[in-house]
Amino acid sequence: MTNKNKLTTEPTIYVTYIATTAEKCWAALTQSEFSKQYFFGQIVEGDWRAGGKIRYRMPDGSEHIEGEILNFDPPRHLRFTWRIVSMAGLKHLPDAIVSYRIEDAGEGVIRLTMLEEHPTPIDERLLGGGRSGWPAILSGLKSLLETGAVPKIAPPTPPQEMLDYMKEHGA
Amino acid sequence: MSAFVYVTYIYTTPQKVWDAITKPEFARKYWLHYNVSDWKKGSRWEHQKGDDSGEVMIDGTVLESDPPRKLVTTWTRPDKSKEPSRVTYDIAEYSPGLVCLTVTHDALENDPAMAASVSGGWPKVLSNLKSFLETGKSENIWLTKNKG
Amino acid sequence: MANSSFVYVTYIRAPKQKVWDALTKPEFQKLYWFGGHQESDWKKGSSWKMYMPQHGLTDTGEILESDPPNRAVIKWRNEFRPELKEEGYSRCVYELAQEDDLTKLTILHTIEKENAKLIHAVSGGWPRILSSLQSYLETGRAHGDTRSMAAQAHK
Repeated sequence: MTNKNKLTTEPTIYVTYIATTAEKCWAALTQSEFSKQYFFGQIVEGDWRAGGKIRYRMPDGSEHIEGEILNFDPPRHLRFTWRIVSMAGLKHLPDAIVSYRIEDAGEGVIRLTMLEEHPTPIDERLLGGGRSGWPAILSGLKSLLETGAVPKIAPPTPPQEMLDYMKEHGA
Repeated sequence: MSAFVYVTYIYTTPQKVWDAITKPEFARKYWLHYNVSDWKKGSRWEHQKGDDSGEVMIDGTVLESDPPRKLVTTWTRPDKSKEPSRVTYDIAEYSPGLVCLTVTHDALENDPAMAASVSGGWPKVLSNLKSFLETGKSENIWLTKNKG
Repeated sequence: MANSSFVYVTYIRAPKQKVWDALTKPEFQKLYWFGGHQESDWKKGSSWKMYMPQHGLTDTGEILESDPPNRAVIKWRNEFRPELKEEGYSRCVYELAQEDDLTKLTILHTIEKENAKLIHAVSGGWPRILSSLQSYLETGRAHGDTRSMAAQAHK
């Protein structure tokens, strides 16, 4: 049980090995025709240069996440600020930083490391969101790249303590 | 111009593209005319007007037939006033669920009027084919009322 | 004068303005141009730049003519492949005409050089992009790209 109002800068890390090429993994991370299959239906779009904008939109086109690209090094490293713009209870939060790093890890295999950084401390209870969301997203990405199809993963509900936080902050 | 090449990518299967070219009632939907043959190598092929008059607009011979991947026919004016040209349909699965259709119309050196005509016709036919396979709808491409 | 050219005509069941907007506005381009987009205000003399997810900045140039929603002419040079960049600027014409419910879109891409590698490259790319555009406008579903655009365009 985490303490209410305890702040943290602890990052969330998710590592997975995928039988694919760096180029294909990069394409799946950066093109909407792929992201909408594994990223809870969300469309990714970007200006594809350091300093450019990146966005994740809901299927109806409304903005969910907005950010600025900090590192752009295709097909190896994409790092960008991550700001939730759509949800009452979360949109007041400081920017997190999300990065995808793709490295060779054997013949025909890459290692994808997703890192969610919290440079400005946030309430500990919020970590549960990413910890439940990213595994579902990146497992779907792996299935897509390896089999061509994404299993129908039920979007995880945030842990209760995160829902409590959101309620306290206007959700 | 001696050859006209047109490449299009369609959300469909190779079999559906093959059927669209070779089944008369299917071709009628987007080409507005019929393609009639048993599609065996050496057999005759006729492009019959879609108004059911039986008028043969183009005819020829099937040179190669490898369903659903490749079909090659000659393309001849029925009055034989010019030498035949040749049409090749290459149907390939580009990625799962997406077909790459390449139509090559060559040997057109000796019939510049035909070359001009088909350069205008193929994009109409193949865009309409793509629309038909992806949406179920097609246009009357040979009859344009309003241009702008 | 020695010349290389690629011409492609497609008919799309959508109004001309919608086709123009899809061709020129980044919020639409991002939906069907394999994640890429262009930055320009499409006024004569303005700069024009294209960005793709795989490479970042891929092409630069200038708008030579602009007559929305009927015609545009772009001066266009590839930036990320040295052998294409050294061929210099090409010229790309977009022409749109309404024919009943269909928009006839003609792309004419030329360069003053024989057997130009750039034209060979775009000859592979344009049918992919325009097929995706037609699917997007007619069905709402664009095409994904399972190989990098560059590798495919140079086949």
